[in-house]
Amino acid sequence: MLLQAKPALVKAMPERPVMVEVRRLKKYFPIRRGIVFARKIGDIKAVDDVTFEIHKGETLGLVGESGSGKTTVGRALLRLLESDAGEIILDGEDFRRLKGKQLRRARRRTQMIFQDPYASLNPRIPVHGIISEPLEVAGGHSRKELRARVDELLDMVGLDSSIRNRYPHEFSGGQRQRVGIARALALNPEFIVCDEAIASLDVSIQAQIVNLLEDLQHRFNITYLFIAHDLSMVRHISDHIAVMYLGKIMELAGRDEIFDDPQHPYTQALISAVPVPDPEVEESRERIVLEGDIPSPANPPPGCVFSTRCRMAMEICSQKAPDYRKIEIGHYAACHHAAGAA
Amino acid sequence: MAALLDIRDLTVRFATEDGRVDAVTGVSYSMEEGEILGVVGESGSGKSVHALAIMQLVPAPHGRIETGEIWFRESDLLTLKGANMRRVRGKQIAMIFQDPISSLNPVYTAGFQIRETLRRHLDISQRAATSRAAELLDLVGIPDARQRLRSYPHELSGGMRQRVMIAMALACDPKLIIADEPTTALDVTIQAQIIELIKRLQVELDLTVMWISHDLGIIAGLADRVNVMYAGYIVERGLVKDIYARPRHPYTAGLLESVPRLDRKTAGKLKPIPGRPPNLARLGTGCPFAPRCRHGDDRCRAEMPDAEASDQDGHMVRCWHWRHVASGETGAGESHA
Repeated sequence: MLLQAKPALVKAMPERPVMVEVRRLKKYFPIRRGIVFARKIGDIKAVDDVTFEIHKGETLGLVGESGSGKTTVGRALLRLLESDAGEIILDGEDFRRLKGKQLRRARRRTQMIFQDPYASLNPRIPVHGIISEPLEVAGGHSRKELRARVDELLDMVGLDSSIRNRYPHEFSGGQRQRVGIARALALNPEFIVCDEAIASLDVSIQAQIVNLLEDLQHRFNITYLFIAHDLSMVRHISDHIAVMYLGKIMELAGRDEIFDDPQHPYTQALISAVPVPDPEVEESRERIVLEGDIPSPANPPPGCVFSTRCRMAMEICSQKAPDYRKIEIGHYAACHHAAGAA
Repeated sequence: MAALLDIRDLTVRFATEDGRVDAVTGVSYSMEEGEILGVVGESGSGKSVHALAIMQLVPAPHGRIETGEIWFRESDLLTLKGANMRRVRGKQIAMIFQDPISSLNPVYTAGFQIRETLRRHLDISQRAATSRAAELLDLVGIPDARQRLRSYPHELSGGMRQRVMIAMALACDPKLIIADEPTTALDVTIQAQIIELIKRLQVELDLTVMWISHDLGIIAGLADRVNVMYAGYIVERGLVKDIYARPRHPYTAGLLESVPRLDRKTAGKLKPIPGRPPNLARLGTGCPFAPRCRHGDDRCRAEMPDAEASDQDGHMVRCWHWRHVASGETGAGESHA
C-alpha cells in the first residue's frame, strides 16, 4: 500500500500521529432491476479503492463534483454506511470490524456536521434538547451537569446561553449551523466529518463558521475531513487536499503544493475553473474548459475514469487505469502522465 | 450610448406575517446597450426581486411594486398591461433562472418547449420553428441538436438543461437577458462552460446581459459594471475594475475581505463581516448595514444616506463614510500573507 510508508510523509512539520487511516476503501451500490424478482444488474462504484490518511489535529479537504463519491467516503468513514471492502483505522483501531459496545464507544469519538442546518435540526426540540441529546444517550450526567455542559457548548460556538429554550426556526442559517456544531462537540469528538458544512450559508457568514471550526480545532486538537466543492475555502482550511472524480482519488497533496503544482489534468482543470474575485487576475487567466459532463458512475469509462474529458488523453488512458502512486513525498496522483513529471 | 434599461426609484413591497417588508427600496440605475451588468448580493438583498419586477413577475397579491418607473426602450414597463407586457416578456427581455429542472416542463421535450416560445411570439410555421429550435441548440453548444430536440428534461444533464434554457431565452432575439444565478446549481467545471458560452453569445449576438450572483469571482471575470445590493438597497455601483480595487462601501469591502482566494496562500484567519443580515421587517430609518459596520455611528443608525456620486465617473455609493472606506483602511486587495 502506498501510504504505509508513514515516516517522511509530511516534510517540515514535526510528525503528528495518524488519526484516520483509510486503505483501499470500496463502497458499491447495487443497481437492481425488477420488483418482485429483483436481481442485481450492476454496481455504482461510489467509492472505488480509496486510500488516504489524516494526521491528528489536521484537516484533509476532500473536493470533487457531484457524483464523485466524496459524501459517500465521509459516511462510510463514520459507518453511517457500511463499506464493502478496505480498512478504516481510527486511532489505531480497526473501525470497520468493531461491534456492539466497542463500536458504540468508538463512535462517540466521531461526529458529523451536515450541510443543511434547516434539515438536520429537529424543529420540535428546543436548542438545549438538541445539544444535550448525545449526552443523554451517552448517560451518566445529572440534570445540573447537562445544563452546565449545554451552556458551555453554546459559549464555545459563540451563542448566548439565553437562547437555550428557543427553537431552530427562530434562528438564521449561520446560528443554526452553530447549534449543529455545538451538538457535534457535546461528546468531545476527536474526528469530525464536515459535509459541505458551509455550502448553504451566505457568503458573509461562511467566514464566521470557518473561523469557528478552526478555533475549535486548535483548542481541542480535532481532526477534520472537510468535504466541499468550494475550492477557495478548502484551500484556506485544509492541510492536505484530495481531489475525487467518479469514486477515485485523482490527486492528493499538501494544500499549497496541489495549487502551485497540480499533477493531474483534472486537478488543473478544476483549479482553472474557479473564478477569482479580482478582475485583473480574471482577465489574464488562462482557463481550461472541460468538454462534456461527468460520465454516469453506473457506467464509468474503461481505463482512467477521467480519460473521456481529459485534454491529455492517450491511447493507454482508455485501456488501463493508472495506479494511484507517489509523485513526491506527500504528493500522490493517479495519472499516466504524472509519471513523466516525477 | 443609449440606455436600454432605465430604472427609477423602484420599491417593491411584500405583505408578510411580520408586517410590510420592502424587498427593494429606491433602486435607480440604467443599463447601456451591449454591457454586462453584475448584480451581487446575499439572500434577501433584493437582487432577484428587482429582476422579477422588471419582468412584472412579482408574485401577487403579497408582492406589489409600490413606486418607480422601469423604462425599456421607449416605454415604461410598469404602465404596460396584459398582452402588451407579454409581448415584451420572453421576446424582448428574457430570463434564465437558477434551477433548470424546475423551470422546464418535465412532460414535454426540449424541442416542444423551444418551439412553443417561438410560436408564441413569432408568426412561423411548425416546420420553421423546428429548424430554428435545432439552430438554437446548436448555437448554445449542444451536440446532435436535431436528436436532442426529442429529449425530455430528465434525459439531459444539469449543464445541458441550462443550455436548453439559454436556447429558449435566445429564441426570439431578445435585447436583454436577465440571468438569475444561472450557474449556482451546477458543478464548477460546468459553470465554467456556461460562463464561456454566455461570453461568446454576448459578443456574437450583441446581447445586453444582467447577471445576478452571490459569487464575487464570477462577476469579476464577466461583468463590466456591478450593482452591490444589501437589504433592498443598491449600496454601491460602478465599474467592476474600480470597485474591486477600491470599494467605497464597507459592505463591499467586507465581502471582498471575507472570501478566501484560490490564487493566494492564506495565512491566519479569515476576516468575516460580524453579525448577520437584518430582518427586513424590522428595519429602522438608518442604514441597514450599520449594526455590522465598523464605521457605524449615530448618524448611520438614524438616517440612510442618499446615493451619492463619488470620486470616480459613474460610481455611486450610499454611505456617509465612503471617504474613510476608500482611503484604504479596509483595503480588500491586500494580501494577508
